[in-house]
Amino acid sequence: MKSALTWEIIAKCSTTKARVGKLILPHGPVDTPVFMPVGTQGTLKGITPKQLEELGCQIMLNNTYHLGLRPGQELLEQIGGSHNFQNWSRNLLTDSGGFQMVSLLKLAKITEQGVEFQSPHDNESTMLLTPEHSMSLQNSIGADIIMQLDDVVSSLTTGKRVEEAMYRSIRWLDRCINAHRKPDSQNLFAIIQGGLDINLRKKCIEEMILRDTPGYAIGGLSGGEEKDIFWRIVTLCTDLLPKNKPIYCMGIGYTEDLVVCSALGVDMYDCVFPTRTARFGNALTPKGSLNLKSVKFSKDFQPIEKDCDCVACKSYTRSYIHLQATKETVGCHLITLHNVAYQLRLMRNIRQAIIEGRFPSFVKQTFKDLFGSEEKYPVWAINALKSVNIDLLS
Amino acid sequence: MSGFSFNLLKITDPSRFRLGQLIFSRNKQEKILDTPNCFVYTMRGSVPHLTPDNLQIIPVDSLGITLEHFLEAQPPTSTHFMGGIHKFLNLEDYLLFFDVRDSSKLLHISFNTDKYVSVVTNQGCRKVTVEEYVRYMNIYNPDIFASISDLITDKNPSLKRVKKSVDRTLNWLDETLEQIKEGIHVFGVVTGHDKHEERVRSAQETANRNVAGFVLNGFDLDVTSKERLDLMKISLKHLPKNKPRVAYGLGAPEYVLLGIFEGIDIFDASYPSEQTSLGHALTFLLLENGIQNEQEKFIDLWDNKYRTDFRPILNGCKCYACQNHTRAYIFHLLVAHEMLATVLLMSHNLFHYLQFFKDIRKSINNNTFTNNAMQFIRASNITDEIDIKPNFNYRNY
Repeated sequence: MKSALTWEIIAKCSTTKARVGKLILPHGPVDTPVFMPVGTQGTLKGITPKQLEELGCQIMLNNTYHLGLRPGQELLEQIGGSHNFQNWSRNLLTDSGGFQMVSLLKLAKITEQGVEFQSPHDNESTMLLTPEHSMSLQNSIGADIIMQLDDVVSSLTTGKRVEEAMYRSIRWLDRCINAHRKPDSQNLFAIIQGGLDINLRKKCIEEMILRDTPGYAIGGLSGGEEKDIFWRIVTLCTDLLPKNKPIYCMGIGYTEDLVVCSALGVDMYDCVFPTRTARFGNALTPKGSLNLKSVKFSKDFQPIEKDCDCVACKSYTRSYIHLQATKETVGCHLITLHNVAYQLRLMRNIRQAIIEGRFPSFVKQTFKDLFGSEEKYPVWAINALKSVNIDLLS
Repeated sequence: MSGFSFNLLKITDPSRFRLGQLIFSRNKQEKILDTPNCFVYTMRGSVPHLTPDNLQIIPVDSLGITLEHFLEAQPPTSTHFMGGIHKFLNLEDYLLFFDVRDSSKLLHISFNTDKYVSVVTNQGCRKVTVEEYVRYMNIYNPDIFASISDLITDKNPSLKRVKKSVDRTLNWLDETLEQIKEGIHVFGVVTGHDKHEERVRSAQETANRNVAGFVLNGFDLDVTSKERLDLMKISLKHLPKNKPRVAYGLGAPEYVLLGIFEGIDIFDASYPSEQTSLGHALTFLLLENGIQNEQEKFIDLWDNKYRTDFRPILNGCKCYACQNHTRAYIFHLLVAHEMLATVLLMSHNLFHYLQFFKDIRKSINNNTFTNNAMQFIRASNITDEIDIKPNFNYRNY
């Protein structure tokens, strides 16, 4: 199908499957592997678009379900999409809206037609999100990358339902392709389903490759499945998906996950974790998370992270942020700014290490800093990295 | 000794409004705070909702800092920081004015004694003695601070109670002036509550002391802004002209103007913060040449009519919010309970409030102030109703 992006691999790791790419989207370039912060309702939690731009963010997420409810499709059409509405001149990605329906709404029912759910307005009538409706909403929002509506089942589900969801996701992809009004300015990504079943995943990839979408997402993971199975599915997908298209693993945001998945060949990630945890007073650092609410920081006059150039670290000590954390919105904004800066720096460091041919040693150092001693390394990460020739324990 | 002076550039009779300059030194540079002006309101040492990068793009010169906000631990953990309060708060370029209690509200808590005053923190009541307060100030090294005062939070206090309050406050001022190190400037707090003769006594006695300026706290008076101003007038008559006067509790624009007529130089700027918490965006203007239209003082961005209003809050406004965002977007952020709503509103409201003071100064300079201000005041409905203070809470995100 038509594509509104170009994608060029700039460097490859000679040991692992990691790669650095330049993705050119309608609203500018995106360096991959990339972490995309989540601005659910057309805003990244308390951060202005200018601040986000200054942090070097090239692409942010918006959620279709939320924007469809508020401000609503009509208004978005009127103002010419979400970029204009929030005054964000760089790239946006929207999800299909299906995931929120299943996760937020109790009485969602999935039929061949679409996802049927109880109206959040009156709790009586039911509404239906079809692939066509999702495309129509996403076309109005106008994000640079849009996602197909998929049949989401929990990654803990087994049996017939997983297979049904996988085949239905393929049929819904076809309906999305047909309904997509703006393939010249918006890139539709397919979402690979098939649960934790290798054969179903293979089948799904086989079919979806035939649709030749501009990029692919690995869906149906990060739902509480065993991490040791999670990485095997990820690596299967990166093996089988075309090498000339960006691969997006949905819902990934922890440092160790980002490093491992990049080693397995994933290019794009999103997660609410860094911004959500900030609101609880947790600041991310290479040595793990600091709970700045804790009294132990009350007389700690260092910045959150030495050498970090974000506004919080340049302006304040941990002691001051401790006074603000979870008490004033400023405390929340400062930690959010820092956490986004941390995530974007981590990705920059991953890319730099790949380009300079030292990715394996970078991975080892990251784990050493994060976990301290080898006994604390998660087994799944050791296994995953071993599969791409990095021995964390050597 | 660091440079500190107050120059009156213009003073008008029979009305008492004035144009002045508070000159202070920061980072070895001489800085000027033009008056009439305001001390920008802070919570725990930050302007509500604004991170330093967002504050920097607003032309702020001075901020008011409240000790009460730091007293959960005693002594405050910030007193262990050796670089001074400007550095601790990352406010090195600004004039910092300290007071014990929050200038936007005076929550009743426990009682004061000859030895200490009671203050409110998130973790309950704390006591501060004059000795502790001065010790903290000597560590913090602010540019100016208000001496500790026995503010009365009971309703209808007796004359005896008011006398005691005046006496205590004066005694504490004497102790403060003895113990404070050179280079930090003390403003004396003028009290007297609603007792005429005590207000006069407090003003005269404070004026006799070596203070750099005066503070009139209207928040111990459970009365309307108008009555508050009438009581302040009694004190103001007995204060020397050549020192700056700060007033709390006259935040709405019409009361700022009335306060200026009575000779107030500096106001507490809690008003833009309060309006922000209500979802209001300030739009009032001090107009030249008396265009007498019914001007809206603010717009309520919770109002559904802004849902599809793609204009900025105020046409021509140079603030970050107006230059970049629409009313419709801010309406959306409020309705969606997104924190960016108050960030944008605060950016605008603070910018606008400071612009209002700039317009006032310009107008005094051009000799159009009386005319412009009187028209503004006449167009405002000044009533005798008790001001209803919004019970605002910055933590509702």
